[in-house]
Amino acid sequence: MSLRQVRAQKLKSFFSLLGIAIGITFLIAVITLVEGMNRYVREDFAGSFFGVNTFSVIQRRQVNTGEVDREQRARERRNPRLRMDDVEVVRAAVPNALYFGYSAATSGEVRRDQYSRRGVRILGGSPQYEAIHGWDVEFGRGLTSVDDRQALPVAVIGSQIAERLFPSTSPLGRQVRAAGHRFTVVGVYEAQGGLTGSLRDAAMLIPFETFQRTVATRRQEVDEILIKVNRVDEMAPSMAAVEQALRVDRRLRPSEPNDFWVQTSSDLLDAWETINNVLLVALPGLVGISLVVGGIVIMNIMLLSVTDRTREIGLRKALGAKRKDIMFQFLTEASTLSVLGAVFGIFAGIGMAAIVESATPLPAAVSPVALAVAICLGLGVGIASGIYPAGRAARLDPIEALRFE
Amino acid sequence: MTAQPGEPIIRTRELRKEYVMGAEVVYALNGVDVDIWRNDYVAIMGPSGSGKSTFMNMVGCLDTPTAGEYALNGQEVQLMNDDELAKIRNREIGFVFQTFNLLARATSLHNVELPLVYSGIPARERRQRAVEALETVQLADRMMHKPSELSGGQRQRVAIARALVNDPSILLADEPTGNLDSTTSLEIMDVFDKLHDRGQTIIMVTHEYDIAARAGRVITLVDGKVELKVDSPAFQAQAGVAAAGVGVLGSPGNVLGQTGAL
Ligand SMILES: Nc1ncnc2c1ncn2[C@@H]1O[C@H](COP(=O)(O)OP(=O)(O)OP(=O)(O)O)[C@@H](O)[C@H]1O
Ligand SMILES: [Mg+2]
Repeated sequence: MSLRQVRAQKLKSFFSLLGIAIGITFLIAVITLVEGMNRYVREDFAGSFFGVNTFSVIQRRQVNTGEVDREQRARERRNPRLRMDDVEVVRAAVPNALYFGYSAATSGEVRRDQYSRRGVRILGGSPQYEAIHGWDVEFGRGLTSVDDRQALPVAVIGSQIAERLFPSTSPLGRQVRAAGHRFTVVGVYEAQGGLTGSLRDAAMLIPFETFQRTVATRRQEVDEILIKVNRVDEMAPSMAAVEQALRVDRRLRPSEPNDFWVQTSSDLLDAWETINNVLLVALPGLVGISLVVGGIVIMNIMLLSVTDRTREIGLRKALGAKRKDIMFQFLTEASTLSVLGAVFGIFAGIGMAAIVESATPLPAAVSPVALAVAICLGLGVGIASGIYPAGRAARLDPIEALRFE
Repeated sequence: MTAQPGEPIIRTRELRKEYVMGAEVVYALNGVDVDIWRNDYVAIMGPSGSGKSTFMNMVGCLDTPTAGEYALNGQEVQLMNDDELAKIRNREIGFVFQTFNLLARATSLHNVELPLVYSGIPARERRQRAVEALETVQLADRMMHKPSELSGGQRQRVAIARALVNDPSILLADEPTGNLDSTTSLEIMDVFDKLHDRGQTIIMVTHEYDIAARAGRVITLVDGKVELKVDSPAFQAQAGVAAAGVGVLGSPGNVLGQTGAL
């Protein structure tokens, strides 16, 4: 065999490798990122948003799972805003709650001397707000009930705000300005990072009462009421009690729907589930197409290879190779090529996911399932695309194959 | 012809092979009756196109006859299916081709091992037997060479080792020296002589009288029919007569320099 043929053979193998590798690369990258999102949402997002055994009362539902029609949404938009009276009704309905809290929020610019940051979420939180969310301070202290009762102008700031406004000094004891009011920084929260890090890292928490007297645009109104119970089995009865108390207080007739929304972290998980299912079906579907293309490439290369090696096949048959021996040889070749492609694809896919992870806030997680799927797919594509060429080779007539020019 | 006791290894009766080429029918074999006995050394001669290769392919179970009977060791070959034929080729037949037909990417050792792979012999025994076969053709020192690193004569010796390695009932060689120069041809013929002395049954196609003269018997084919069967001592004396009668001399189709590898 001439050197040119060897090179040609290598080039062909390279292309079939490439076809499969590209497909698997995207598959792994996609699954890795979706899996990362998944893990993140389950472990961090829902948790940091809410924490376990926690539910909240809000004016209307926030996450849309796509099952709500327009009419329903329009009606929910007319729900009354939550007020301090509602807070007291809910508080009375869950006397055994572990934590009880409420908050209101606005956003605006926070400044200190020449430093400033726009779009800061300024939260007015009741004393147990931090405990419910599990927000820990890294420096200084958190907010106390004394701060709230006396409506002290104090604030605990997120790490991003601390970095921006106090690049070289400690923020503790210093003053910041927001909406024309001064607040003394008493603490800085631990950086959370990640996709929703901005929720805490770019927030500033002040006592609810302080909020009412300073930055609040609508007095006596709250955005959410938060309840954390002791055990998971207290969730359903507590939620029912809250719902019942609010309905009675608002004098809703049995035929009327709730004019408020009780939300749990499972709402968020449901919403994510919907997105997740779409991603997990649609994206691998696209990947599947590229694998089919890869398979066709392999099949063509194998057919070429059968033609190229007709004389070799003839010889092997002359030496006693049975049909299944030839079949096995070509299937092995095809699956070796494609599994090799899959292995390259796995590394490239993990690399790609890592690049995406470092360039964007999207998290990545390599799942063993994805790797197994990739290898199986490679093998499957190899066998599927190898069967026809291998069968053609196996059925060749030995003498005609030997005579083939 | 000397009478032999028992069954012949090869026995053909009215063996025919026809090729239909459009409106024309080519009778490549037109009723061939041949008996080959154990430890026979038979040379097949005849003009180009007389059906020698066709006959060898039939005997080697590479091709199936259009009509007639062929029994190998008493087994009716024409009744066998693809896989049974593959098994016969593997166990009973050793084929040596004019163009060597070695795997270019494989070493001598691997080439010789190939038939054993298809008989399902374990790797260690395979290797040992391949080494022995290469020693028989005096190529033990070229085991790790690839065909491109061997001379034509060495390549053909590798091919002979491959044909021998499964200890076949019959060694078939279709113009084994056709691609070799005369000195190398003599080397190869010495190998065949030695194998015959060790008891190997051999059928060989050749165009060269001096090569045919080494065989115990010579069968001459003309137009797909057996024209002449002679025992060798007589053949030597008649060589000139036969040459005149058949009108063929020399060895056409010599393509020296061809690698003969796949
Ligand atoms: N596959 C085929 N299709 C059609 N005709 C064929 C085929 N194979 C052989 N023949 C014909 O059969 C006849 C015998 O061919 P064969 O190859 O047996 O001759 P040969 O005696 O080996 O000749 P040479 O000495 O040139 O090798 C020739 O006429 C040839 O053309
Ligand atoms: Mg011939």
